[in-house]
Amino acid sequence: MTDRKHDDDGLEGFFSAARAYPPEPSEALLARVLADAEAARPAPVPVRGPGLLSRIGDLLGGWQGLGGLATATVAGLWIGYAELADPDQLTGGLVGASDVVDLLPQAELFALAMEMEE
Amino acid sequence: MAFDAEDDRSDEALLALYGRGDAGAARVLTLRLTPLAFRVAARMLGDKAEAEDVAQEAMLRLWRQAPNWQGGQARVTTWLYRVAVNLATDRLRKRRGLPLDEAPEPVETAPGAVGRMIEAERAAALDAALMALPERQREAVILRHLEGLSNPEIAEIMGVGVEAVESLTARGKRGLTAALAGRRAELGYDDD
Repeated sequence: MTDRKHDDDGLEGFFSAARAYPPEPSEALLARVLADAEAARPAPVPVRGPGLLSRIGDLLGGWQGLGGLATATVAGLWIGYAELADPDQLTGGLVGASDVVDLLPQAELFALAMEMEE
Repeated sequence: MAFDAEDDRSDEALLALYGRGDAGAARVLTLRLTPLAFRVAARMLGDKAEAEDVAQEAMLRLWRQAPNWQGGQARVTTWLYRVAVNLATDRLRKRRGLPLDEAPEPVETAPGAVGRMIEAERAAALDAALMALPERQREAVILRHLEGLSNPEIAEIMGVGVEAVESLTARGKRGLTAALAGRRAELGYDDD
């Protein structure tokens, strides 16, 4: 039965029957469409792995290792260009002055020599 | 077939995947969208062989469009309906010059086993009545009442305004009512 309130022209029964029995594509058509899809399919976009620089960076310990390496490189360059004209630039004068520590004072050395003679 | 059309991903997402070379997306889209293109073409043309050609051509255009598909443009189904409808219309125009004895074989909408069922007979009667309608009315009625599209979407597919769609649909339904009036009792309708 059709609902006459929503089917004034009496067509809904025909429409619902047509929706229930739609023309269906054949398996052969689906196969042809799929063959076309394969033929027209763009080349797959390659999945990009880590680049050469990234892999080298990993070998050197990641960004932390690279940071240390860069600091050491800059320091080396600076030392080379500075030609160590004044080594105090490097040490900041911390080890510039030498202190003499008398581990065996003269008086004790003398006393020791005397003891040996006796 | 070894694959099915059941997939949670949208047509647009699958088409984007296909555009990047995904073979699996092509299989899902083939099963999901080919019936749509074939259905509309078959109902507009009333000829299975021609409808298959139209559906295949419409799908081929979709494959070629995939790499350039813009995310913000029309839905994939709207685009495909428009292409299929236009291809079918072109064939109808070419067919007008053909003599009657070259008229195409009608589409069998009902499987043989259920051919006697009244529902299938009603479907066949409607298909025949649709073929008697002017093309644009037939197109509007198919998209509105058999494909279940909204008037704005049909307007986009047909390249006309919404009011024109409403007018075409209304006139098409009047034509169908007249064409089917004499067959209602035969098809199990009790109008008394």
